[in-house]
Amino acid sequence: MAGEAKFTCLRCGCDFMLPFTPGVTEERTCPKCMSNSVRRVKQKKD
Amino acid sequence: MAYSEVENVAGYVGNFTVTVRKKARYVDVKECTACGDCIDVCPVTAPDEFEEGLSTRKAIYQPFPQAVPSAFVLNIDECLGNNPIACGKCLEVCDKDCIDYDDKDKLVDIDVGTIIVTTGMAVYDPTELDEFGYTRYENVITSMEFERLINSGGPTQGHLIRLTDLKEPKTVAFIQCVGSRSENKGNPYCSNICCMNTVKDCLLIKDHYPDVKLKVFYIDIRAFGKGFEDLFQRSKEKGAVYIRGIPGEIEEDPETKSLKLYVENTTEGGTECHEADMVILSVGVHPREDSSAIQKLLTLQRSQDGFFLEAHPKLKPVDAATQGVFFAGCAEGPKDIKDSVTQAGAAAARANRLMMQGKVSVEAITSTIIPELCKACGICVNVCPYHAISCDTEAKTPATVVEAACSGCGACSAECPFGAITMKHFTDKQIESQIDAMLEVDPQDKVLAFACNWCSYSGGDLAGTNRFQYPPNVRLIRTMCSGRVDKKFVLRAFARGAPIVLLSGCHFADCHYINAVHWTQRRVEKLWDQLEKKGIRPDRLQLEWISAAEGQKFATVMRAVEELRQKVTPEEVEHTKRVLKDVLEPPKKDPAKGKPAESESAASGVAV
Repeated sequence: MAGEAKFTCLRCGCDFMLPFTPGVTEERTCPKCMSNSVRRVKQKKD
Repeated sequence: MAYSEVENVAGYVGNFTVTVRKKARYVDVKECTACGDCIDVCPVTAPDEFEEGLSTRKAIYQPFPQAVPSAFVLNIDECLGNNPIACGKCLEVCDKDCIDYDDKDKLVDIDVGTIIVTTGMAVYDPTELDEFGYTRYENVITSMEFERLINSGGPTQGHLIRLTDLKEPKTVAFIQCVGSRSENKGNPYCSNICCMNTVKDCLLIKDHYPDVKLKVFYIDIRAFGKGFEDLFQRSKEKGAVYIRGIPGEIEEDPETKSLKLYVENTTEGGTECHEADMVILSVGVHPREDSSAIQKLLTLQRSQDGFFLEAHPKLKPVDAATQGVFFAGCAEGPKDIKDSVTQAGAAAARANRLMMQGKVSVEAITSTIIPELCKACGICVNVCPYHAISCDTEAKTPATVVEAACSGCGACSAECPFGAITMKHFTDKQIESQIDAMLEVDPQDKVLAFACNWCSYSGGDLAGTNRFQYPPNVRLIRTMCSGRVDKKFVLRAFARGAPIVLLSGCHFADCHYINAVHWTQRRVEKLWDQLEKKGIRPDRLQLEWISAAEGQKFATVMRAVEELRQKVTPEEVEHTKRVLKDVLEPPKKDPAKGKPAESESAASGVAV
C-alpha cells in the first residue's frame, strides 16, 4: 500500500508529493520551508 | 540456553517473565559426547553455514568448533531419518542412544529482573553491487568468507588459496566500504570495523606469505582506535599498497580467472587498471533482520540506521529506554571486539547494580487511572509505549498502571476519551491554568507554544544561551512529552483568544518516550480536520519537531510562527472564541447522569 500522496505545508502553503503509507506515522518536512506542519491533502468524495 | 529463541517478554523491571522456545535438537545433550560416529554414517551433506558455505557439513553436526554444549544437533528438515526406514543410520550407530526423532520444542518461562540485549548484527550481502561481480566471479569473496579461509580451523586449515584453482594467489586486492557509506546501495553509515579488519588481514597474509602482493582500495582509512594507526603503518611497511579510490568495475579473465580492477586513483589522478588473483570485498554490517521482533518484545527504540537506540548517547550509553533493559555489542551499533567487551562489562554492571539494590526508583511523574471514569475501552493500552497499562476490555474492569514501568510521557492521559487518566504532576488543571494565565492579557498578541521537556524546551534554552533572537511574545508551556498535549489544551488556548498555537516535540528518532511522539502527530492531524470543520484555519495550529541541539531552528520556527500570527485577524479570533465557547463553559448536564469532576486525589502538584 506504500505510495505517494499529496501534502500541503501549513506554514508556507506549498503543495508537494511525499511517500505515504496508510496507518504509518512518519516525520515529514516541507521541502521548501522545512516546516513539519505538513498536512495530507485528502481526496474529497464526489 | 543454546539453540533457543525468546518468544515473549512480559512484565517490567525486576519482574520480567521471559518465555523461551528451546528448539528440538533431536539429540540428548546430556548423553552426547560429540564422538562423531553419527557424522561418519550420515549420508546427507549441506553447506556449512559457519564456514560461509566454503565447506560442507552433515545433517547431524556440531554448529561450530568449541560450541557449548559440546553436543550435536540434528537438522530435521535435512535429515532422512524422519522415517527410520529411509535412513536411521545415526540412530543405529549411536552407542549412547542419544538420537530422538520424536523430540519436540519446549516452552520455558524464566523470571528475570533485568535483560541485556546482545543480538549482534548481520553482514552485508554485496550481490546487488554488480560492478564487483560477487557470485559471478568465484575469486571475488567477502571479508567474512576470507576470515574463514585463513582461519586455522577453517576449511583450508588456514592455507591461503583462491577458490578456482586452489592455488596460492600472487596478488590479493581488498576493496573497502562495500555496502557502507553509500547513499544508493548498502548503508549510509560507516561500519566501523572494516578498515582495521583489512589492516589485520594484510598483516596476517604478509606474516605467512611475504611474497603475496597486497593492494587495498579505499575511500579513507579510519584507524582511530588505540594502537590502530601503528598497525596501519606496519601493514604499509610490510608492503601493503593503499590506493585511494574504489574500483568502478571488475573484469574476469575467462582463462586464468584472474581479475582486472578499473579504478580512478583520486590521489594521483587518472584511471588505472590493476590485476589481482583474488579480490576481497570488505563488507559492512547492518542490523539483524529479526531486530524488529526484538524491538516489539522489549518495546525498544531503533535509530535511523536500524540499530537499537540507547536511552542517552552520553549519559546512558548501555541503557534502553525501557527500564531494566540494557545493550551490549553490535545490537546497539557497529563496533569491534574491544568496544563490545567494554560495553558488555558496562551493561552487566548496570544490570547488577539494579538487581543488587533489590528495588528501583520510579518516575515521580506517572499516570494514574481514575477507576470511576474508566470505561475499559483499552485505548490507553495501545497508546502506552512501555506496555505499562493493562486492561481487561471484555470484563470491563478499569485499566491499571504499573508505576515501575510507566515513564510518565502522558500520552495515555491525552488520548483517553473519558478523562479517566491523570498524571502525577503536569495535571490537566495545572496545564490549563498556565494556558489561562498566559492568555489573560492581550491574547491576540501572543504565540502559545507547547514544548516537550527533553528536546524542544531544551532547544529553546540553547537558543537563549546562544543569544539567538526570537520574538518576545512567545509563551512556552513545558510538558514532559509532546504526547501529553491533550487536544482540549489546544482548543482551550484558541477559546482563550490565542491567534496561533504551536506544538513542538522531539524528532521521531529522538523521542525520549520510545514512540509517544507518534501520538502527537496523529492527534494534531485529527485536530487540523476538526478545526477546519469548525471554520477555523488549520494553519493556526503549527507542528514542529525541534531537538535539544537545534537552538537555531527553535528561533527560526518562533519567528515564522510570529509571522503567521500577524496574519490572523481579530475577526478570526473572535469567531474562534464564539465557536469554541463550549470548551470553556461546557453545557450543564443532568447531575444524575453527568460525569464526576476530575479527581484531584492523584494530583500532588499545586495549580499554577
